[in-house]
Amino acid sequence: MVFDNFWVSVIFLGIGTFCIRASFIYMSSRLNISKRMREVLSFIPCAIFPALITPMVFFHQGQSHFFLQKERLFALFVASFISYKTKNILITIVCGLLLLFVFSIL
Amino acid sequence: MNRKSPIITGIKSMLPIIPGVLPFGLIMGTAAHNAGLNIMEVTGMNFLMFAGAAQLVAVDLLTQNVETVVIVLTGCIINLRMMLYSASFAPLFKESNLLTKTFASYLLTDQAYATCLDLDERYNKRSDKVAFYLGSAFFMMVCWHISVILGMFFGNFAPKSLSLEFAIPLSFMALTIPTIKNRTYFYVVMISAVLSLFLYKLPYNLGLIISASIGVLCGAYLSSDKSVNTDRNSEVKDGL
Repeated sequence: MVFDNFWVSVIFLGIGTFCIRASFIYMSSRLNISKRMREVLSFIPCAIFPALITPMVFFHQGQSHFFLQKERLFALFVASFISYKTKNILITIVCGLLLLFVFSIL
Repeated sequence: MNRKSPIITGIKSMLPIIPGVLPFGLIMGTAAHNAGLNIMEVTGMNFLMFAGAAQLVAVDLLTQNVETVVIVLTGCIINLRMMLYSASFAPLFKESNLLTKTFASYLLTDQAYATCLDLDERYNKRSDKVAFYLGSAFFMMVCWHISVILGMFFGNFAPKSLSLEFAIPLSFMALTIPTIKNRTYFYVVMISAVLSLFLYKLPYNLGLIISASIGVLCGAYLSSDKSVNTDRNSEVKDGL
C-alpha cells in the first residue's frame, strides 16, 4: 500500500457521497412537494448542466485565455443547433466530435 | 403485449452517452495506476465512491500527501451537485421502499440523471419511471467499472485526435436542450453558464454548485413573476 490514509479517506468519501445522493430521496416520503416546488425543481437540469459543461469546454485543459483556441466552444455551439433540430443524442455527439476534429485541423 | 421493458429502454438510453464515459474511466484508471494503487484499492474506491470527478481529485490529493480531512471534504464538495439531483428526484421516489431508495441513491450519477430528463414524457406510471432509471443507472455503473479497469491495465488507449472526452459535454448538452421549455428556462441556462465561467477560479469546484444554485433561484424568481405577466398578456390578447 502506497498511502497510509487511503482506506480511511475512501470510506469517508463513500459515506459522504452516499449521504449527499440519498439526502432528498430518503426524505421524499416525508416531504410535501407542492406544484410550485415541482416547478422550481424543474429548473435544476437547466441550471446545473450548463454550469458543469461551460467551464469544461471554455477552459479546456487549463487554457485560461478568454479568446484563444476556442474550437471546442464553436463545436459545442454548432452542435447545440444540430441537437435542437434533430433531437437526437447520437447524431449530436457524432457531429460534435467531427466538428471538433475539423476545427482542430483547420 | 409487445411493450418494451422500461429497464431495457433505460439501458438503451445510456448507450449514446457511453462514448463520453469510456475516456473518463480510462483517465481514472490510468491516474490510479500511475499513483501506485493496486487493483483491490481501485475497485474498492470504485464501489465505495462511484463518483468519477471526486475519485480523480482524491487520487491527486492522496499523491500530494494532503490531510485526510481535506481529501474527504474536497471530494464531498465536488459531489454536492448530486444533492440537486436528489432533490429533483424526490417526487419520483416518494412511494418507493427503502431498498429501492438506497439503490437509486447509490447509483445516482450525472449521466443517469441526464437520461431521465424526459421521464415524464416517456411514462405515466411511477414504477415504469423508476425501472427506467434503475436500468440506465445500473448500466452506467457497469460501464464505469469496466472502463476504469481497462484504463488501469492498458492506459488511456482512446485515440487522442478523436478527442472522445468531448462527448461528455456534448451528451449533457444534447440531453439538456429539450428541457428548455420556455424563455425562463433559457435565461436560467444563460445565467448559470456565464456565472460558471466567472466563478471557475473558485477552489474545490465551488463555482459549479454556486452557479447552479443561483440559476435555480433565478428560475424560481422569474417564474413567480411570470404568473402575473401571463395574466396581463392574456388580458391584452382578450382586449385585441
